[in-house]
Amino acid sequence: MIAAIGLVLGIVAGLFLEPTVPLWLQPYLPIAVVAALDAVFGGLRALLDGIFDDRVFVVSFVGNVLVAAVIVYLGDQLGVGSQLSTGVVVVLGIRIFSNAAAIRRHLFSA
Amino acid sequence: MSDPGPQRTQDDDPRRGRARLRSALTPRATRAQVVAAALCAVLGFAAAVQVRANQDAGLTGLRQTDLVRILDDVSERGARLQAEARDLQDTRDQVTGGSSGTLAALEEARERARVLGILAGTLPAQGPGVELTINDVDGQVGADVLLDALQELRDAGAEAIEVATVAGPAVRVVASTSLVDVQGGVEVDGTELVSPYRFRVIGEPRTLAAALDIPGGVLDVLSQRDAQAVVTQRPSVSIASLRVAAAPRYARPAPDDEGDGNG
Repeated sequence: MIAAIGLVLGIVAGLFLEPTVPLWLQPYLPIAVVAALDAVFGGLRALLDGIFDDRVFVVSFVGNVLVAAVIVYLGDQLGVGSQLSTGVVVVLGIRIFSNAAAIRRHLFSA
Repeated sequence: MSDPGPQRTQDDDPRRGRARLRSALTPRATRAQVVAAALCAVLGFAAAVQVRANQDAGLTGLRQTDLVRILDDVSERGARLQAEARDLQDTRDQVTGGSSGTLAALEEARERARVLGILAGTLPAQGPGVELTINDVDGQVGADVLLDALQELRDAGAEAIEVATVAGPAVRVVASTSLVDVQGGVEVDGTELVSPYRFRVIGEPRTLAAALDIPGGVLDVLSQRDAQAVVTQRPSVSIASLRVAAAPRYARPAPDDEGDGNG
């Protein structure tokens, strides 16, 4: 419950504060958001599995974001930034979908 | 937030899952709940910021390679449009710059066509001139007399001539006109004319009348042959009969340089 409230608070803050994204962060922010989304879905699944651990959640959240950013950075340096970004988004999307499927099984057994 | 606790079984029982969700939804200030809330807040904040930045992102959010590609596209398009504009300007300059000369040449060509059309008999003509009526009473006026009359008129500066039977067919007289004696009349360019003949001639009226009236001239010959000839000077003579100009089968206009040598 507190997590949902935090999510809403973050969204509201982002909408009302209207911060400008710093230039160095612009290529990484979208990938980081997708990676964090994957971590959140993984955490929700772990919660329903009864194996949720806040330490694991924090590590996976930060780790996902960092790895995604590093991959994008590496891709930019290698000149395949856009392709690698697409690849990362696809992989994370697949993980999000599988996590969502597990959550659905838990809640609806379907 | 429910402690993972001892039950680590991965059951698919929905009631178990719902129970855990319900327990997680009950607000308790455990460390896990607070940490999850903080990270979710970060996620929501970042997502909202990214969505907003994406909405008003023009070129700022693009990569260097994309920017280079867009720049290439734009500059290529600009070059193409510039070339097109140059072409159009050239065309416009040609059209506007040459317009006066072209118009003058066109007017001159039209004037030449009018003059040549009158000479060749392809255009109707009008102007001052004379009418010569010949009533051949005894049938003694033949092609030779009419030909003499034509020659005399031409010598006197006739510019357009038509020969006709009064109230009958009319023939435009041109350079190639031929006159042949036939029974009861004269055939002019294949059209049979009978007396009384009428010449309509455009030229200086007094000169033409004088040319016909010289001693031993056309009128003298006609009176010798008992034909009644009347010459009437008119301020305006209208010649309506036309000829179809046949395209030459063999003759071609000579190139200008050869023409100059011969001329």
